[in-house]
Amino acid sequence: MANETTQTHESTGADGHASGGGLPQFQFVWWPGQVVWLLLIFVVLYVLLSKLFLPRVGGTIQTRADKIAADVAQARDLKTQAEAESATALAELAKARTHAQRTASEAKAKANAEAATRQAAEEAVLAEKLAVAEDRIRVSRDAALGNVRTIASDIAAAITDKLTGVAATADEVETALTAAKA
Amino acid sequence: MADPMHQFQINKVVDLPTVNLPGLGVVDLSITNSVVSMGMAAGLICVFFALAARQAVVPGRLQSVGEMLYSLVDDLAGSIIGHEGKVFFPFVFTLFSFILAMNFLGMFLVFTATSQLAVTVTLAMLTILTVVVVGFARNGFGFFKLFVPSGVPAFLLILMVPIEIISFLVRPVTLALRLFGNMIGGHVVLKIFAGFIISLGLLASGGGIASLGILGSVVSLGSVVALTALEFIVAFLQAFVFAALTCVYLNDVVNLHSH
Repeated sequence: MANETTQTHESTGADGHASGGGLPQFQFVWWPGQVVWLLLIFVVLYVLLSKLFLPRVGGTIQTRADKIAADVAQARDLKTQAEAESATALAELAKARTHAQRTASEAKAKANAEAATRQAAEEAVLAEKLAVAEDRIRVSRDAALGNVRTIASDIAAAITDKLTGVAATADEVETALTAAKA
Repeated sequence: MADPMHQFQINKVVDLPTVNLPGLGVVDLSITNSVVSMGMAAGLICVFFALAARQAVVPGRLQSVGEMLYSLVDDLAGSIIGHEGKVFFPFVFTLFSFILAMNFLGMFLVFTATSQLAVTVTLAMLTILTVVVVGFARNGFGFFKLFVPSGVPAFLLILMVPIEIISFLVRPVTLALRLFGNMIGGHVVLKIFAGFIISLGLLASGGGIASLGILGSVVSLGSVVALTALEFIVAFLQAFVFAALTCVYLNDVVNLHSH
């Protein structure tokens, strides 16, 4: 390191600017020029940045923040609006459902009443037919039952004929039948 | 080995006549490599913002970086100074971006303007003078309350006031030396390790036991890579620290009554 320091001394000495120590930074002959130029450049840069570039960047950031805030507010508005509309739609749906239910129950009651009336009428007709049929059956049975005595006397006469060879007279058969019936 | 200090040597690039500035005397306004470096840094910032300061609602990459830097300094000034930070934001941002650009240019070019004590001292004096001017403009002679901490018993003030005055006077010195020291230190170390790569490699080419020098050369190369990454962090951090301290010092005089 000592060697390097002497080297620096020599080089700076050779350049003829050795006004400070070993470091080139301490060659004070270069200071005024650097200071003046630095201040000049700094002022120009300050003016350019503060008047031109920074307002533009800051404005863009502000515009973006405003736009995002506005968009969020708009989205929130739309959401409340949508929620209100959804509530209205739900209410309407509920109303429509109760209405439909009432209509359906009314229609059902009406249909039931009609069906009962028609059934009663039908039953009356059927009952009438049934009564007529029953009457006819009774008449037929009575007629059939009236014929039974004739058939019995015929059979009795026939059987007597077969068994004895002598045909029974009508009176005898009649007497026998009356006895058997009693 | 190459002289690690040679990178800080100032040379004239364009010879300009000396100017007799009032109050400063004769000043050689020749364009030196230091001035070129500052000018390039300022130019780089202007070009960057000319490209980055688009007004798209959905930002591109460059615009995002620009807005990120803006927000970084804006939040810094806002959080330290309060809502009055808006007034000082352009000044703090100019300091931050200018130092950042000079530091970063030093990582890519051969010359680092912020490793010149003249530059860091000027920036520090500019900051402190701004603080003093703002302090007097805002508070008049109440500015001197800065040196009298409130809520301290009278007998302690005999001790405290000199300490406060010294700490205020030391501010520009620490501001200047912190930036200067960080930049010069990093670049010197980089140069020395880079020099080791070559010198140890040459040593190893001698053959025999000296071939082990190649190991040292490889280690040096690794160190340079790691240190370069570190230097990029330092380049950003020092610019940020300078901006943050500027905000702290401005806050001291802007919100003096609330101390």
